[in-house]
Amino acid sequence: MAARSIWNGTLTFGTVAIPIKLFSATENRSISFKEVRESDGSRISHKRVGAESGEEIAYSEIDKGYDTGNGVLVLTKEEIAAADGPRPKVVEIEMFVKGAEIDPVFYDKAYHVGANKGGEHAYRVLLTALEKSGRVGIGRFVLRSREQLIALRPIQGALGLQTMRFADELVAPDEFELPEMKKRPGEKEVTMAGKLVEMLEGEWKPEEHHDTYRDAVMELIEAKADGKTVKAATEKASTGDDLMAALEASLEAVREADGQGAAKPKDASTPKRAPTKKPTGPTKPRSKTKEEGA
Amino acid sequence: MPPRSMWTGSLSFGLVNVPVQVVGATRDHDVRFHMVHRAEEGGTAERVQMQRVAEDGNEVPWSKIGKGWELEDGRMLVLSQKDLDSAAPEKTRTIDIEQFVALSSIDPIMFDHPYWLLPAGEGEGAVRAYTLLLEVMKNAGQVGIGRIVLRNKEQLVALREQDGLLSLTTMKFAEDIRDPQDTGAIPGGEKNEPSAAEVKDAVALIEEMTDDWRPDSFEDRHRQRLLGLIEQKRKQGTIDLPEPEPEPKPQKAPADLMAALEESLAKARGNKKPRTKAREKSEA
Repeated sequence: MAARSIWNGTLTFGTVAIPIKLFSATENRSISFKEVRESDGSRISHKRVGAESGEEIAYSEIDKGYDTGNGVLVLTKEEIAAADGPRPKVVEIEMFVKGAEIDPVFYDKAYHVGANKGGEHAYRVLLTALEKSGRVGIGRFVLRSREQLIALRPIQGALGLQTMRFADELVAPDEFELPEMKKRPGEKEVTMAGKLVEMLEGEWKPEEHHDTYRDAVMELIEAKADGKTVKAATEKASTGDDLMAALEASLEAVREADGQGAAKPKDASTPKRAPTKKPTGPTKPRSKTKEEGA
Repeated sequence: MPPRSMWTGSLSFGLVNVPVQVVGATRDHDVRFHMVHRAEEGGTAERVQMQRVAEDGNEVPWSKIGKGWELEDGRMLVLSQKDLDSAAPEKTRTIDIEQFVALSSIDPIMFDHPYWLLPAGEGEGAVRAYTLLLEVMKNAGQVGIGRIVLRNKEQLVALREQDGLLSLTTMKFAEDIRDPQDTGAIPGGEKNEPSAAEVKDAVALIEEMTDDWRPDSFEDRHRQRLLGLIEQKRKQGTIDLPEPEPEPKPQKAPADLMAALEESLAKARGNKKPRTKAREKSEA
């Protein structure tokens, strides 16, 4: 069955219009709990009440208050809706940029773009042209009454649309007061650490990483349901001042692990020694047991 | 003011442990409203609060709220924060870098929320280890892949050097990304196959419309409009509501795509005359 679209409209670039629909590209599969009273598990519901009167207030009687600094300015929901963008059903691509120029930190929520009736051919032309040129379209559109800056780019062989963060939403490094970091690490340390990075180099295989926390929480739920108790967390000691010793020991450990194949559980994510690209064997599931060894 | 630290622990890279703290790398400038109860003529609007109420009607303070999980037999299992913390014991205070990969091999769709990773504490050893990792990551041009438990959830994270600091970005799991083909709306088939001429024109148009990526040049217009409305209401006491616009008709795809592409291209090139008339697709 085809998925349900969350938005229908038109994508425009130049004078070309393509009827499209949008689908959420991600799903949140983390375990979600219900709010309950801790003492007896009674389900919690939310009630809107007047701060002074304590009386319940119907949603239709609720306005929005804006704190002006000296008092509260009240706006109705209709008045706030006047801030919605002008062309509600269009994704307008205003310009294109080289994809490599955009740091991934700007990308936010992702959607898959599908073609609506009549748009199939133009969709394919645009997709192919984007793939070929390595460009990303930048535009704006209104989703759920909020105008968004968006990027249009090929994702997994289809057109994808991603909302973008605005530059002023990113915290710049110079805003932090940091301890003096001028003292450069010794050359020998850099060389050794570099070697360690090389040994841990591998190919990015997203399907090898699983949400083990979700599994762990499920196990916890099962254990608790059976009336078992759960153990508390432990901490790892931080490295002392002897950086060189730690680096040497790490290199040794990785070499050993490599020598013995998969014998050591520490490196379950299959780091390879050779940085050259060679086909790797069949993907093996990430081993779940990790030793506290380090 | 820079964001506050939300996590302190150590970054472990081989057997080297670097004390670090995690701080948010984003801030929102959203215009914030709170709920008020519409006042009668001349009255003052009363502030409205959300109240958490149990099934027996009693209010429950936030500190007495637990996490409930409904078992198959209908019982409600209650978990506390302490219970949940124990689900990933050895990871709550450590980020283990498991692997290094090329940044370009990760599609940005995998990235979720960005954070900065700063050295924790003033100890010389700690700062030195941080600087070392920073330098090595920069040299290698690689991204470290590891895990962290943030806000109660184990996250896959990518670490890299960015503007002279280490950054940490939470990542999605592959199983959380939908396959676009599952939408049933990705056009395929020979019928929709683009011709070489169409692609050439589309690429030319894209190139003509290409500019540098200047993130500073984009402003949050929704926010500006909201602030404008607030200003209007403050000064005039009312807001001129716009005439409700009719639901726009969905635009149709151009019947002659080549013609539309060439027209756009001509426009993009500064309203010069179209260089050619629309050509037959068969030319390809």
